[in-house]
Amino acid sequence: MAQAPFPTSEPVDFIIIGSGAAGGVVAKELSAAGHSVVVLEQGPHLRAADFKHDEWGYKHNNDLVWGARQGHPQTFRKTEIDTAVLVESALGYAHNVGGSSVHFSGNFWRFREVDFIEASLLGPIAGTTFSDWPITYDDLEPYYTKVDWEVGVSGLAGPWDPPRSRGYPCPPMPVKASGVLLERAAKQLGYTPYPAPVAILSQVHNGRPACIHCGFCNGFGCEVDAKSSSMAAMIPLALATGNCELRTLCTAARINTDAAGRANEVVYWEEDGREQSQRANAVVLCANGAETPRLLLLSESSQFPDGLANSSGVVGQNLMFNGASSATGLFDEPVNAFKSVPTTRVMHDFYSLDPSLGFYGGGGIDSRHPSNGLPLGTGLSGSLFGGPNWGSEYKHSLAEEFTHTAAFNGHSTSLPLATNTVTLDPDLRDKWGRAALRCTYKDHPDDIATMRFFLERSLELLDAAGAKQVTSRPITETEGNVHLLGTCRMGNDATTSVVDRNNRSHDVPNLFMVDGSSLVTGGRGQPTMTIMALAFRAADYMISAAGRNEV
Amino acid sequence: MILTSCERAQEARLGEGEFTTLSAEEAMEFTAIAARIIPTDATPGATEAGVIYFIDKVLGDGREAEHEILRRGLTELQAAAEMRFAVTHFYELQAEQQDRLLTDIEASAFFATIRYLTVAGMFSLPEYGGNRDNIGYQLLGFEDRHVWQSPYGYYDADYADKGA
Repeated sequence: MAQAPFPTSEPVDFIIIGSGAAGGVVAKELSAAGHSVVVLEQGPHLRAADFKHDEWGYKHNNDLVWGARQGHPQTFRKTEIDTAVLVESALGYAHNVGGSSVHFSGNFWRFREVDFIEASLLGPIAGTTFSDWPITYDDLEPYYTKVDWEVGVSGLAGPWDPPRSRGYPCPPMPVKASGVLLERAAKQLGYTPYPAPVAILSQVHNGRPACIHCGFCNGFGCEVDAKSSSMAAMIPLALATGNCELRTLCTAARINTDAAGRANEVVYWEEDGREQSQRANAVVLCANGAETPRLLLLSESSQFPDGLANSSGVVGQNLMFNGASSATGLFDEPVNAFKSVPTTRVMHDFYSLDPSLGFYGGGGIDSRHPSNGLPLGTGLSGSLFGGPNWGSEYKHSLAEEFTHTAAFNGHSTSLPLATNTVTLDPDLRDKWGRAALRCTYKDHPDDIATMRFFLERSLELLDAAGAKQVTSRPITETEGNVHLLGTCRMGNDATTSVVDRNNRSHDVPNLFMVDGSSLVTGGRGQPTMTIMALAFRAADYMISAAGRNEV
Repeated sequence: MILTSCERAQEARLGEGEFTTLSAEEAMEFTAIAARIIPTDATPGATEAGVIYFIDKVLGDGREAEHEILRRGLTELQAAAEMRFAVTHFYELQAEQQDRLLTDIEASAFFATIRYLTVAGMFSLPEYGGNRDNIGYQLLGFEDRHVWQSPYGYYDADYADKGA
């Protein structure tokens, strides 16, 4: 077989759109199995040496998470009857090789058995599309273990874990003071805190170095490749096979189909705007829960008038963000939560809330720095505990807020709703002339109730931890997120779902959607490990289906 | 080729010494406002950190809308200075008078923008022109290092001694 690079005129076995958490895994698996693979990535190939502690650039100038400044405007509205307005980022994701796995925090909580069968256990919830998955935890467990070992996860196996076939490859990170505060408080209240599983290496693994605890994880690329992004862990392996060609600064424009309704070509723009196309025997769409539905909708044709793979009409629907809550305590002694990884302790005693509370929900609580350990973030959020937010008093309150605080954060469920969507904005275009991403999102009342529940638990825990002052962010309706889930949901019924149990389109047999869009439910706030596990599983299926000439 | 904003800022630094985006009057006025947001007292403030150089650079980097908010707001602030204290410029006022004027406009887009840029100039990487000599980081007790070792704070050291 030909080696990369490949000519655009000859079909490759697979073309993958997007090199993020899912795309990187699929690229590595398919190319390692001997298939010819082209990966299209909108952004550049930044590597460890490119990353700086540049809070202004990454957090305020959108150097990684492109927005209107880079020609990628988005709009947001709460409901269909509202007017969508231009916002900085409602559907946030990074534009670079490895996607958002490069700048994530790396909290790798497996989903649990209950996540896949919760609708059957609890019954339907009126006004929602709450459903069971077509697969179970047991179906996915081997692939979670693959993520642990191949991508690289640090943690401690114990009774707090869902069943696992193998232990963690790396021990947990050294506990931080913020983690100790949570652990001691949780134990005092009778809960079960445990070392947070993270996709950051605590020791050398698979030839990658251990974390040096610089503290710049959330929102930043890792400067030593200790963070298990698909950029660090998967893409190098894919490229080393010689079967994978990574085309960066290439933006997919549409997926074309042949007369039989099979995907046969991806049209894309190179950086200078030149239109290119790549023929392929199969297309794997890993563009994330916002861009995957957008590309399907943009790929409408006379054969597929409502968008490609959208006979169900649910492409773009059921967007889930995950709920969030945060309470911060001020402590007598230095916490210095700005050092090392974001979180070292977590508790899941409220993974599934008691239905007698009167609302659906569940989640986990971890302990972090209130401003992600960031100097500028701290300056902007001060004075956290009241008082002026400029002047001498403000200035001198910042040191204590930076060094003596810990935030106990809740991460919780979001119900799937048909009315929460990613759609094409009819009134706004991006730099390529495409309809901009439009986000429509309003939390279900149970999601808000769940966030409140977790905020109350965080406040109790801070009290038990001995905080001398506490403050909390008010619970408000979510108006944007970086967890982009559910918009091409998986299911057995082709009239209510977009992909089947193997991430294959119900409508187009050689088209696969593999990313956060496949998720039927959103878990408890940390979806990336499940996105990667699904990617390993889907790739396994693609390889076996290709072997049977079924792709 | 895509330049990061950091690289762009470093390129812009070649013209150090004079302002590239702000007028001389704007620079003096915004310096005076920044000095009330993060004052110089027992420790250095926005002035010593060179926040105004940060503001000059980032406003020139695709932030015309923010610059326009600042231009309009400054005109209004100067009108208020004239009316209340009979001076042409904000920077001519005593600190206490300046604080009174700023308190009046705390809820304005102008104040939000100048506060944002002042704080950003204080705590961003020095390559962007502000945070000179890491003055902002020192104020927080932050050291920009690549490597830290456990224990990081008091409670984890205590945990290592006494356990959970």
